[in-house]
Amino acid sequence: MIDLHIVEYIARLARIEVTEPEKEALRPQLSRILEYIDQLNVLSVEGIEPTKEPFLRENVFREDIAKNSERAEDILKNAPAVTDNHFRIPKVIG
Amino acid sequence: MAKSFETVIGLEVHVQPNTNSKIFCPCPTEFNAPANTHICPVCCGYPGVLPVFNKRALELAVRTSLALHCTINEKIYFERKNYFYPDLPKNYQISQYALPLGENGHLELSGGKKIGITRVHLEEDAGKLIHREDCSLVDFNRTGTPLLEIVSYPDMNSPQEAWEYLQMLKLIIQYIEVSSCDMEKGYLRCDANISLREEGATQLGTKIELKNMNSFKGVKDALVFEEKRQRNLLLDGKTLSQETRLWDEVKGKTVTMRTKEEAHDYRYFPEPDLVSFSVTASMITEQRQYVPELPLARTKRFIDEYGLSEKDVEVLISHRWSADFFEQSSVHFPHFKQIANWIIGPLLEITNAFPEGFSKIKMSPGEFAKLVRYFSEGTLNNITAKKVLTEALTTGVDIDKIIQEKSLIQVSDESELDGYVSDAVAEHPKSVEDYRKGKSQALMFLVGSVMKKTKGKANPKIVREMIEKKIQQ
Amino acid sequence: MNDLSSLKAVDIVQKLSQNQITKEDVRGFFNKRITDLDPYIHSFVKVFTHLSPADTGLGIPIGIKDNICIKDEEITCASRILNGHRAVYDATVIGKLKQAGFLIMGTMNMDEFAFGSSTENSCYGPTRNPWDITRVPGGSSGGSAAAVAARLIPWALGSDTGGSIRQPASFCGVVGFKPTYGRVSRYGLIAFGSSLDQIGPLTTNFVDCAYLLNVICGHDPYDSTSAQVDVADFSKSLIDNVEGLKVGLPQEYFRQGLNSDIAKAIGEVAAVLKGRGAQITNISLPHTEYAVATYYIVGCSEASSNLQRFDGVKYGLRVKSSELLDMYKKTRGEGFGPESKRRIFLGTYSLSSGYYDAYYVRALKVRTLIKRDFEEAFKQVDVILTPTAPTCAFKIGEKAEDPLSMYLSDIYTISANLAGLPAVSFPCGFSKGSLPIGAQFIGRPFDEEILIRMGYTYQTVTDFHARIPLVTHG
Repeated sequence: MIDLHIVEYIARLARIEVTEPEKEALRPQLSRILEYIDQLNVLSVEGIEPTKEPFLRENVFREDIAKNSERAEDILKNAPAVTDNHFRIPKVIG
Repeated sequence: MAKSFETVIGLEVHVQPNTNSKIFCPCPTEFNAPANTHICPVCCGYPGVLPVFNKRALELAVRTSLALHCTINEKIYFERKNYFYPDLPKNYQISQYALPLGENGHLELSGGKKIGITRVHLEEDAGKLIHREDCSLVDFNRTGTPLLEIVSYPDMNSPQEAWEYLQMLKLIIQYIEVSSCDMEKGYLRCDANISLREEGATQLGTKIELKNMNSFKGVKDALVFEEKRQRNLLLDGKTLSQETRLWDEVKGKTVTMRTKEEAHDYRYFPEPDLVSFSVTASMITEQRQYVPELPLARTKRFIDEYGLSEKDVEVLISHRWSADFFEQSSVHFPHFKQIANWIIGPLLEITNAFPEGFSKIKMSPGEFAKLVRYFSEGTLNNITAKKVLTEALTTGVDIDKIIQEKSLIQVSDESELDGYVSDAVAEHPKSVEDYRKGKSQALMFLVGSVMKKTKGKANPKIVREMIEKKIQQ
Repeated sequence: MNDLSSLKAVDIVQKLSQNQITKEDVRGFFNKRITDLDPYIHSFVKVFTHLSPADTGLGIPIGIKDNICIKDEEITCASRILNGHRAVYDATVIGKLKQAGFLIMGTMNMDEFAFGSSTENSCYGPTRNPWDITRVPGGSSGGSAAAVAARLIPWALGSDTGGSIRQPASFCGVVGFKPTYGRVSRYGLIAFGSSLDQIGPLTTNFVDCAYLLNVICGHDPYDSTSAQVDVADFSKSLIDNVEGLKVGLPQEYFRQGLNSDIAKAIGEVAAVLKGRGAQITNISLPHTEYAVATYYIVGCSEASSNLQRFDGVKYGLRVKSSELLDMYKKTRGEGFGPESKRRIFLGTYSLSSGYYDAYYVRALKVRTLIKRDFEEAFKQVDVILTPTAPTCAFKIGEKAEDPLSMYLSDIYTISANLAGLPAVSFPCGFSKGSLPIGAQFIGRPFDEEILIRMGYTYQTVTDFHARIPLVTHG
């Protein structure tokens, strides 16, 4: 059910490089898990509302008050590469 | 015979509502701060952080939806739009997808045509990328700033109409005080979809998405270019393929950015870190109060009710404050044409030079109306009235006080003016002679010299009569 | 020096606050145990040797699972991809602990990003079960559970997305409590499944459990999903009386696959409770068998999105490349371990175009059915009693090649996360092979109190919780 083409498509979406042996291992593993998951198809879920949060809560807001975090320096310190106070990254192509 | 085509245009506009803080964290939204100074763990997508929704952003979005006559969905929730891009720290954007805040609205153009609005929704903005020779640099200051996405139906049929839609949209959003819509600051951004179809066809043609237009003129130019490009291709019997094209302002043309094959799979799903939101009746009632009479209706009323010319009304309406100021002043001195003239002329002239424009003026409409009345009654002349206006606008001092302190009341008493008139005639014999020979400009020169000596206070009409009388003696 | 290992944590707190013992002594005692025993157990990622001079608190030692942010400390989630990353802020629970005078002894090992049930999926290598170091401690909070079981620390915090506190607690013979979803702030917990995750305590007994819950529970404005529900003083629930309380045994939890020693031990728990006046009834939770499948779709979908932020741009690992897309792929390819990749793939797949409705939306609907099962059950009973896991601790490596069988070891714990309910695992016996067995109580939303009351009553008449493993070398 999961063919190599799907593994490669998902790898591209998830931006993860997978080696050939990894692909070979993932294919049957994912297939087996999905086969197990397919047991959900025996249930009739028509008219059932999806639960996106365990308890329905509404309207949790914050007020529009601006505050400087004072964390900018620490955040830049964690960056793999910094130039002129910017996060430096390899060239974006395409 | 050449085929004729119908142009179909839809616009997707992003507006930054004027909140103090970002949509999901308290970082300031201030424009042009030094790179990466308005950032925190939340807007930088740090591990472990959670978003908390800015109430003001929702209020402004509700207000905008109301002004655009949208149906407001009472229950809304956010979704994640997943895609990798370095200006998006979490590599997903918190946005709305299945259920936008506002749907099925419209905007009326000045000619009366209604352009449908499919949706108004809220989302977070991305950061800024700077591309260098060998690397790219990322600034997250703008990341997490609230954005309103306003999508029109493909109801426009010419680049001119698209331009009018943008003008009207901007004016409405400025009227409801949601955003300054300053395109240079990126507070308003616009992408366009354009397709052509044979006249009479029911199916839409192949849609081309246009990006990277940085001004209203850019939008119009890009659409004009694209309309022509597509028409030529279609006339040549070629077929178009769906794609996204970038407007190159320097070269004045559009170029391919990406084709449909590379389209994204955004994997939208409900944002589990935020709760659902319900737009309460009280929030709608409250926001409705901030939606005033919209520009188009106001234009019609100004013409009907105040008897002003279309041209004058256009200027007054172009800013909400000038239209408001006109109406507020008119209450105190219902000489509409004069009030309008003084706003369109001197007031705009003076306030345009203010760095912060009209927002910082200190004069009340009542005072302004009094000034116009003094002018019309002859208490102040053109020169002194402008002097008083300038001072009152910047200081907020009552005009009576300014007039008294600078003793600017117009002098019409002939006995007071007699000395100045005699001096002028005596000092400029050549002008007197010229006037006698029939050169009327010479008289104006003589009047001017009296005005100068009286520091503008003399009543020019009286002075003129006195000089004429004196010369003829 | 006093042997503090047989004391309750609250007794140590009391001695500290009454100056009967210094915080240096307490720290010294547990440091020595860590030095002596952790080489065999490997429960710590990092032992904090430095003491902040600003730390003027009581000095109550605690261990923190390495997915909860402690300001200025490295945080790893046992993953290479966070290499070198330092938290720039305190998680809300850490702020509360510091305020209450706690001293963080170090960060505890775990399955990478909490993906796992054995603590084998750690870039630092597996943690071992102190009862038998050839076996796993369970997971993903295996470091926290093993360290508490071996008394290397008096208590610890873990996180539970599908059983990650309770299952290791059962494998290691300690009390592991997952509060109601929203009870404890998730701010600063590195997310796995945002709609499932909860932080909770691992302790040796229910008295300590109540104390620690009192410290960490409560509404937090930084977490929109944090509950605005009043928190009771849980120490008031330490009541030795379960008279008249109704306990339900869900029949679906006692079917095939359940180890017979465990089935027997749970029966004995029911008998003890009955002896104390509780009423035992059989109940049904008919959608139980669908919980694991539902959980893997929901949890992995959320995780695949949550983990997209690890991309080499802002923090952590970056594998060098001259081009961005290639940098992304290499960084994530090398940074994530095999189980993380599997789950990211599974989640990405179930959210992708064409599969979203078939997998993700369907799973959310089944989640509703599972939730309703509990709503029905709690009309009949006050608390549900189940085994925590179908087996006792398994051998290291035993399930490494079979991800699905590993997933099934959470079969009894997952439903409480899907329904957001409070649940606790506590020691209730030993297998024939002398491995701890855990029993689980599941309660109504925001009724942590009944779980504490039941557990406390049980522990007043049993002593499984007081046994300490003798850590031996192989």
